[in-house]
Amino acid sequence: MALLEVTSLTKLFGGLTAVSELNFDIRPGELLSIIGPNGAGKTTLFNLLTGIYRPTSGTIRFNDIDITGFKPFQVTRHGIGRTFQLTSIFKQSTVLENVMIGKSLLAAVGVWGSVLRTPATRREEKRTREKARDLLSFVGLGDKENRLAGGLTEEAQKRLSISMALATEPRLLLLDEPTGGVNLEEISGLIELVGRIRKAGTSICLIEHKMRMVMSISDRIVVLNYGKKIAEGTPKEVANNDEVIRAYLGARYAA
Amino acid sequence: METLRTLFSPKAVAWVVVLIAAIVVPPIVGGYVTSMLILIAIWTIMCFSMNLIFGYTGQLSLGHSAFLGIAAYTFSLITVKLHVGFWPAFFIAIAFTGVVAFLVGVPALKLKGPYFILVTLGFAVIVGVIVLGWIDLTGGANGLYGIPRPNPIPLPGGGTLRFDSLLSMYYFILFFVVLIGVFCHRLVHSLIGKRFIAISYNENLTESLGINTMSQKLLSFTISAILAGIAGVLYATYNVVISPELTHFARGMDVVAYLIVGGAGTMAGPIVGTLVLMTVPEILQILPYLKTLINGIILMLFIIFLPNGIIGWFNTKLGERLRSRRAVHGPA
Repeated sequence: MALLEVTSLTKLFGGLTAVSELNFDIRPGELLSIIGPNGAGKTTLFNLLTGIYRPTSGTIRFNDIDITGFKPFQVTRHGIGRTFQLTSIFKQSTVLENVMIGKSLLAAVGVWGSVLRTPATRREEKRTREKARDLLSFVGLGDKENRLAGGLTEEAQKRLSISMALATEPRLLLLDEPTGGVNLEEISGLIELVGRIRKAGTSICLIEHKMRMVMSISDRIVVLNYGKKIAEGTPKEVANNDEVIRAYLGARYAA
Repeated sequence: METLRTLFSPKAVAWVVVLIAAIVVPPIVGGYVTSMLILIAIWTIMCFSMNLIFGYTGQLSLGHSAFLGIAAYTFSLITVKLHVGFWPAFFIAIAFTGVVAFLVGVPALKLKGPYFILVTLGFAVIVGVIVLGWIDLTGGANGLYGIPRPNPIPLPGGGTLRFDSLLSMYYFILFFVVLIGVFCHRLVHSLIGKRFIAISYNENLTESLGINTMSQKLLSFTISAILAGIAGVLYATYNVVISPELTHFARGMDVVAYLIVGGAGTMAGPIVGTLVLMTVPEILQILPYLKTLINGIILMLFIIFLPNGIIGWFNTKLGERLRSRRAVHGPA
């Protein structure tokens, strides 16, 4: 059974079709990559999956629940976490606070408990802090918890944004260009992190431009062009697909 | 060891000094200054209220004069006309204000940025017009009078705590300033406070982390309005007369000015801002109608040169000094 099931998903912006009649699924434990030229509708697809945009038509089912039209926070609570293309973190907060905000979702705290500092609330805050620390060491930022997030390197900020998404304990993690803007030596470290997240049992959906990386780590690949799916399959199948070569390299290169 | 260090941290010492000064100074300085300090204390509570929704949650409300006015008028009406007791009336007034804030917040907080600001301003103007125009209920421009002072509180060792004198009213109101200050401090340092602050930094990111930002904003807005309501009730009981001037929307803007000058999103900002902007015109003997003008000019200067306010500027300087010291001596 599929974890995520997308059926004839369409999104129109005025007269522009950003995503058109899209069908695909993600299986439990799988790493699926979404590739395509700029403007192919990849980020729009993520925004549809996470409830930032409402689809014009079509359905999204996750874990056998119809989540079409859910608000972003509801989608997250049902088990889909995400990172953004432009690394989104709370720059003025410390690294630990960033992850604690993600973790606070799972903490039962009320106004009176917080103001009276009841033992139950203190326990809950302590648990949240400890869980956040565990996550930071998992992503390799264990020694930076008191730094201001805005002062981290681009690569560390990417790790932080991933740990924030993981803090919501997702079953499916959507990563929008996790290696964008990061220098070459640091990419392998991020790939290794993605591998460990997967090993821990989280399914991953990846938007990426770096072909070599996509080909080496994906189970399956979906190729979008002008909002339509033009190919789907294993890295090998996709690499040999005529239409994909045409979209990426131009008609001359197609066999 | 850690608790000892926090107990004697410069910040904690500063707070204790300010509190002692607030207790000791009024009996020495006499009635005129004490009556000024009472007004400063009441507007400090308004400023705490504004700080919660604007400083920490990032939603600028220009409608807080309405919450101040609704609570003051509700309290005055039910005590003067229905003869409800002081404390029941107190709670009814602030609870009603909270309900109104919730009902206004549900549609208004769906709007973002300038649209939210405009709706809250519109709400304040509407409440001001109603207070002025519904003469049968509110007394119109004449206002309401004969508002009761707090009931005497019996003390455990015999005797009673009475609130007839100016000084006793001052301590009564100071008690609420401290109570609300501690309330706000604990709230913004809790996980709930972290969510509020996260919303002020980046609402979409907060929502993507599974937090229902709408319900959190509504919570902050309602609590903030209840705090403004407490300020309204305290004003009514202190002044024993209220007039529509209290609910004029410019009062809500004054509070925003106090907060920005003091430092939005800081604990000391509301106190410092209110103190500075309310005493400076007094010391310079500025005519009342010029105060708003002077406040406006000071506010503009702060927004351009010190957007984080006095306390925000101070914290940045302090942070720089600590960092440079650490850079020389290595990490502590």
